[in-house]
Amino acid sequence: MKNKITVGAVVLGGSLTLSATGFADEGLFGYVKGAEPLPKGSMDVEQWFTVRSDKGQGHYDALDTKTEVEWGITDKFATAVELYGLGINTSGLMIDAYLPKDEKYTWKPAGLEVALKYNFLSPAKDWIGLSQYVAFSYFWEDVNSGQRKDVYSVEGLLLAQKYFMDGQVVLAGNLGIEATSATRKPIDGLPPDFEWPTTPEMEIEVTASAGITYRFAENWFIGGEIFYQTEHETVVGQERWSIQAGPTLHYGGQKWWATLTWLPQIRGGGLMYPGQTDTDLHLIEKTKQEVRLKIGFNF
Amino acid sequence: MPIRPIPTLLMVPVALVAGTGYATEYLTVAQAQQAIFPDADQLIDAAVELSDAQRSAIEKQAGVRQRWKKQAVWRAEKAGQLIGWFVVDEVVGKHEFITYAAGLTPDGHVRGIEILVYRETYGHQVRNAEWRQKFAGKTLADPFKLDEDIPNISGATLSSANVTKGVKRLLVLQQVVLNKR
Repeated sequence: MKNKITVGAVVLGGSLTLSATGFADEGLFGYVKGAEPLPKGSMDVEQWFTVRSDKGQGHYDALDTKTEVEWGITDKFATAVELYGLGINTSGLMIDAYLPKDEKYTWKPAGLEVALKYNFLSPAKDWIGLSQYVAFSYFWEDVNSGQRKDVYSVEGLLLAQKYFMDGQVVLAGNLGIEATSATRKPIDGLPPDFEWPTTPEMEIEVTASAGITYRFAENWFIGGEIFYQTEHETVVGQERWSIQAGPTLHYGGQKWWATLTWLPQIRGGGLMYPGQTDTDLHLIEKTKQEVRLKIGFNF
Repeated sequence: MPIRPIPTLLMVPVALVAGTGYATEYLTVAQAQQAIFPDADQLIDAAVELSDAQRSAIEKQAGVRQRWKKQAVWRAEKAGQLIGWFVVDEVVGKHEFITYAAGLTPDGHVRGIEILVYRETYGHQVRNAEWRQKFAGKTLADPFKLDEDIPNISGATLSSANVTKGVKRLLVLQQVVLNKR
């Protein structure tokens, strides 16, 4: 019988996401960030759950969780701290340097992040909304394999947002770059010919995403998102690229909101694992399916 | 039996949805009429139904969409004389519509505005008399722009922008429709 990651046990946990990290305003989208700032003196608490599954062979399920608290320091500047967590169930697939062994655990804390956001232009006041986002993170678990890995990252994103139809339609786009230094921890008992380097690796990741959403009823928005990501690293050059796209549904209440997004991988490339049959996807560090639920509370 | 994460996640938003139900009505129409036209001895229902041509004319001059085909309007009179128009309007807030009312003098000045229903998370300062007073005396010659002649309300920029544009649109509606009655 297949064992799935249980969701209930990780409700209080943090989250580790494959995508650029979330920054809490009202998340109209699951993956794309808006440019709206949090007002001065206000606070926002968010809980994210991201389920990643299916690498094409073997069994692979992962649950990323994130607990985030954001504060509006001024009307233009906000800061957030985030605790990430990871649950994983992988078996029947080994990939040199990426998936060393079967692994299963319900949830464990995986990383921490501090983020800053500064708003230059307001989407409701200026011709376009524009914000700068910067995040510094340290992860001690590898989101892909569930193994110990020290990952230090700094990420910068430019966030753009525009309203149409008095704000009933929202268009948003992000462009960003992330630099990472990652070091795998040694693992005992691996096959002698299995590649598991424990020297530091440097990675550069570029992300471009866009989303559009429409308020079709009071409090309800429906839309779509598209997410492109590519990573280059020492030794291999372009390690991967992928395009994910899918629908998103958002409910915005006065004191809380929720967003549900399904973002499967549509196309991908770069490295493939031996015997990979889905040759139009990147399945080493990505999966075929991804679903995210975000819930936010405003104070 | 292990919880299957995807069906579980899909159930959560369904379970969480319980309708809106948090809108706060601050003033009734009657209360707003009394606040803006305390000197009127009668307010006569003068609701308008706009033709497509009128809606286009309003949109062109106001620079914003005339969303409603029907507009709730009352004619404020004192001793049988017109002293102004009382108009109830709705504009888009972040999640729901904002219901407000504007009083317009016969010569196209804003007499005052009142917020009737406000439903958003932030920005309840739109109800503050200090913010609403900024509209008093405005005409179509004024910019009606946030951080220019109307202060922006942080956390409710969309709401304050749409109310500002809405009041301007009502002045245009007066010019296009009401003054020709």
